[in-house]
Amino acid sequence: MAGEGTRARPPSTSVSTTSSLMQDVPGAFQASVNTSGPDRSDFVSLSQAIHARRSEYVRPKHIRIKVGSWNVAAYKGAEKDVGGWFVQGMGVAEALAGLKVTDQTQVHGENIPQQAGLDDREDVASQEARYHKKQSTLPRNDPGSIPGDSDIGLYVLALQEVVDINSVSEALRPYTDPSVANKWKDAMSASLPPGYSLIAESQLIGMLLLIYASPDVAKDVQSVSTTSVGTGIAGYMGNKGAVTARIVLGDTTRLVFIDSHLSAGTDKGALERRNWDAAQVVARTKFEPIKDSMGLNQSSGEQIGDEDFAFWCGDLNYRLEGIPGDDVRRLLMLHTRNEYDLSQRSARKIESELRSATEAVKHRVEDRLSVYSNGSSTPSSPARSAHDVRSSIDSRTSTDTPPTTIVDELAVSDDPTSLQTTLLSLLPHDELHQQMKLRAAFYDGWREGPINFLPTYKYDAGSVGVFDSSEKKRAPSWCDRILYRTRRDRLTYETKIQEEDDAKRKDDQMRASGLDHAGNDEEILYELYDPEADGVGEEYDEYDEAGENVVVTKEGFEDSIELEYYTAHQRVLSSDHKPLDAVFKLKYDCVIPELKAKVHAEVAKELDKSENEHRPSVTVVVDRHRSDSVASEENSDSDPATFDGVYFGNVRYATARHRYLTIANTGRVSATFSFIERPHGANTSSGLAPKWINLKLADMPSASSSKASQSVTLEPGDTASAELEVRIFDMHTMHALNEGLQELDDILVLRVEGGRDHFIPVKGCWLENTLGKSINRLVKIPEGGIRKLQRQKPGGSSSRSKSVREGGASRERSVSPPQSLQVSSAPRELYKLTTAIEELAGRVVAEWEMTHSSEEVGAYVLAPWQTHPAWPFDQQCWTERNGMQWQDALGEVSNALDCDEPLEQSLPPELPKMQRLYVLANLLMLFLEHMSDGIITASQWTEIKALMTETETSKRKPSLEEQRTAVQDILAQQPSHNISLIFVTSMLERIIAETTPTKRQKDDLVKKPAGTLRRFTGLGKLSAEVAEEESSLLAMARMFAEVVIRSEKVGSEKARIAVARRKAEVLVLFLRRGEGG
Amino acid sequence: MAARMQQGGRPGGARFAQFKLVLLGESAVGKSSLVLRFVKDQFDDYRESTIGAAFLTQTIALDDQTTVKFEIWDTAGQERYKSLAPMYYRNANCAVVVYDITQASSLDKAKSWVKELQRQANENIIIALAGNKADLVAEQPDKRAVQTADAEAYARESNLLFFETSAKTAENVKELFTAIAKKLPIEQASQRGMRGPAGRPGGVDLGNRQEAGGAAGGPGGCNC
Repeated sequence: MAGEGTRARPPSTSVSTTSSLMQDVPGAFQASVNTSGPDRSDFVSLSQAIHARRSEYVRPKHIRIKVGSWNVAAYKGAEKDVGGWFVQGMGVAEALAGLKVTDQTQVHGENIPQQAGLDDREDVASQEARYHKKQSTLPRNDPGSIPGDSDIGLYVLALQEVVDINSVSEALRPYTDPSVANKWKDAMSASLPPGYSLIAESQLIGMLLLIYASPDVAKDVQSVSTTSVGTGIAGYMGNKGAVTARIVLGDTTRLVFIDSHLSAGTDKGALERRNWDAAQVVARTKFEPIKDSMGLNQSSGEQIGDEDFAFWCGDLNYRLEGIPGDDVRRLLMLHTRNEYDLSQRSARKIESELRSATEAVKHRVEDRLSVYSNGSSTPSSPARSAHDVRSSIDSRTSTDTPPTTIVDELAVSDDPTSLQTTLLSLLPHDELHQQMKLRAAFYDGWREGPINFLPTYKYDAGSVGVFDSSEKKRAPSWCDRILYRTRRDRLTYETKIQEEDDAKRKDDQMRASGLDHAGNDEEILYELYDPEADGVGEEYDEYDEAGENVVVTKEGFEDSIELEYYTAHQRVLSSDHKPLDAVFKLKYDCVIPELKAKVHAEVAKELDKSENEHRPSVTVVVDRHRSDSVASEENSDSDPATFDGVYFGNVRYATARHRYLTIANTGRVSATFSFIERPHGANTSSGLAPKWINLKLADMPSASSSKASQSVTLEPGDTASAELEVRIFDMHTMHALNEGLQELDDILVLRVEGGRDHFIPVKGCWLENTLGKSINRLVKIPEGGIRKLQRQKPGGSSSRSKSVREGGASRERSVSPPQSLQVSSAPRELYKLTTAIEELAGRVVAEWEMTHSSEEVGAYVLAPWQTHPAWPFDQQCWTERNGMQWQDALGEVSNALDCDEPLEQSLPPELPKMQRLYVLANLLMLFLEHMSDGIITASQWTEIKALMTETETSKRKPSLEEQRTAVQDILAQQPSHNISLIFVTSMLERIIAETTPTKRQKDDLVKKPAGTLRRFTGLGKLSAEVAEEESSLLAMARMFAEVVIRSEKVGSEKARIAVARRKAEVLVLFLRRGEGG
Repeated sequence: MAARMQQGGRPGGARFAQFKLVLLGESAVGKSSLVLRFVKDQFDDYRESTIGAAFLTQTIALDDQTTVKFEIWDTAGQERYKSLAPMYYRNANCAVVVYDITQASSLDKAKSWVKELQRQANENIIIALAGNKADLVAEQPDKRAVQTADAEAYARESNLLFFETSAKTAENVKELFTAIAKKLPIEQASQRGMRGPAGRPGGVDLGNRQEAGGAAGGPGGCNC
């Protein structure tokens, strides 16, 4: 920044009336204006307006998302199965897994491989026989049972235990070995159709989350953020926990994928730990901030729960509870053995396992059959399995039959073909479902597809269906799960909780008020209401118009999701867990950038248009001044046709001129305006207005020098006025104008907030006056006064002052008119003033005598000259001097003086004589005081001072006459000064004489024409009168000495008094002219 | 431990920045007409001369992610008001100095404005020189008083954007403002401007100008 360009902002304390700090910086942004209005295109309103038209720039898009989870238990070579299982959909044993979630007759499964192809598939026996850790374990010739390859837009692969999580070295490894993930990525890349890309990847020790997108989907993916949360050892280690990815699809839809591995174990503590792990994952996962579809930057990242769709999968480790593991193993193997040719090794193993357990079971069952009736525990029909799991959980509430009974019954019934029956009997024991129901974990809207597949854990590796035959004989469980949740699910849950809380509070209130039974009644009501019996889950009632499947996203777009497949891949042999996957069909609104850009441009244009049209605007009208009353003046006082600002016409000393502006709101909205500070420039001074203008906005005065003016707000169609007054009374300004150092020419700036600035030029024509001039210049003023002189000059005042500026800073300007100049012997103005005062004083005294002589003694009023010896020049007498009338009168007299017109006649006739006299006296004092050289100049004073010092030190005391003569000799060197002094002193003598009785008596006898030099001798001296006269004389001398005699400034107060006394002494010499004797 | 992937291609999120633009130049060269054409796409053969400073806004989209909003102060060209011009260019981010290609003297005036701006205004101010009334020359080539090459050479040595424009035919008007927008430090301005709904518009605060100017890297920076 250039140095001189740096301008300090005004300190905030100086900002008074107008709104903001920025307001004070001219040309600054007007930030505070209309921010609340809808029409201003700031970033937010622009974004909102674009967002409101989102339907115009989004297009629905349908994709399939496949989510797969597999605990590979660090088995070597497991990656060889991932492509076949996850991408191609191979390895599903149809007999052991319900395949499709929805009815097969539905149309959306266009690409499902034909069942016919399955006939060629390798049988289980030969598959198991060639089991080897270095090769894929998948059955050969498997065409795949569920959609895969390029039918899937997003592949979300969630693996657990890609490394041995129980190994200390893995737990303490300070970095993630990339070779492990690479192994899996390579396997995926080799299997995926060309063009698929990895869009997110996250690993935490054993947990590895890989997300691949098809080329078409990949371009819609933004704001990818991955995190991990360790909840293992000490609550923080990464042997357990979750890795999570958040992506935003098509600028509209947030997806969250959680791959987690929760704590293992079958005891109650382990269960609680799993719940805690899950809660920790939710609490501690935080994604990076994203820009939403309105382009706004988030200040903080989102969490799990802010998304539109979430998928939580992994080895959640929930077990089957309350049922002997052996029983479950045996029961399930009844089903799995059907997969084998009985001669096979696995089949034999299963048979032996079954045999060992059956006898004992049979015995138990026989005991119980006598106790329980058969019908009460009949499981629901398999058809119900298509329903959402949560409803099936709810339906189990009344089943309090001892768990073992069902298993045993099923075992006894020996109906292995009814896999569904078996699964449905086991599911009530699933800890996860129980915890969801108890609201201990995964309760806030999470849902799961129907489980139509065998527990995924724990098998002998290399087998299709041999459950753990090792020493531990671990109980089979659905450890591996895929849950999902929509935004709508979560909100529904929250609403439900809210309602329950409300009901409880209401219940508590009723109980508190003594209605104990109310609560009981409600309980009965709830008991009677069986959601299962009513068929449809209650939560669906809450979705009204939005449509059953519509999920309104966080940003207001309408998406939907549908679960198509949820199954395990039983014929994947490389781990002791079976992999499982789920296929979802997602419809999301996708922003089309080209369409959005078009909408953006349109919206911006509309907002600009609206903003500019609704910009406040005012019209400023300068009220044209008609010259009527002042038309008499020679110089045209009306506005020059060419000037478009405020023209004040001729401006004279002390006389006010007024002009008015009308400000009309001609816009469509309310407008607030104020005068603002202008920079100091060639013809402008700083402040709101030049010092010579008194600005009043709508009757509120604004100090012209302040930085902020009042602001005025106008409604459309309203008007306000501003008054501009010019009155040059300040001597400094007047002098600058007289000398041409300043002009009456400036510019005001009126700012409409949020609108434009109006420039208002202001101009006046200064009429030079005689105050402040030297005697030498005064004597050169011709008859007709200084005004006549000004008019004679070409171009008037402005050209004159210009020439002065160009000619240098000479203060003593030449006012000489061109040719033959008639020089007066003394200033005509001084003569006129003194004689007018003298005469008027005489009349005032005479009038006083007349009106007061007849009064009774008791009511005698002292005349002003009796109380004020320096009357009428004593300022204390001028009681009206601060009034407008006084200033006007002073202006008129001054003007008469400048025009060489009779003084008294210029005063308004209604003004009393006494006041007229005072005004004249005031003008005389100003005239003398501001005379640039003084009647007795500083150099003359130096000579007189020397003379007086000499006189005082000489032995002989010279007479007054001698002293006076000596002083006059000095003054006579400059005759015009000498005569000027005589004008003043003779006037004073005359007034003193009028106001002191002795002299007046004498004067009455000797009538002399006013204005001539008079000499008189003293008569009888009555002491009282002498005293009165003496005091008047001294007072006058003191007062006039100060204005008549110029001297150099004296420092100390004492010296100043001494000088003043001396000056007075000199003047006394002239006032005692007649007493020299 | 967590690896991150960022989708290549589009940088995420929209950018929005607001800039103050001032028009300067001799009286009657067509400053207000240029603004009228730019903002309202209109032309008025007989415009009154501007007394004061007109204030308008116009938003342009540089691409589907980048929006620039100009706050335009169209100043009076008359010599009388010259002393008030600093109020308007003082905080300006960009300036359009206009001359009339049929009036040689108007280019001299424009040059003096450029000089004043370079001395007194924001040191990073982007200045564009616009030779207006190209339509007059198209009709009558002998009316041309300033050769394109001369003005262009001057603009190059003074580091100004340069266009010969016509407010009447709209020639180069949009191009002029777009070229300015492209040179503005949108990245810096928008980062401050977009912190949230309460954020002040960017590109206005002189106090941070040094910091804004100091950081290199123009628009389109990719953080992949």
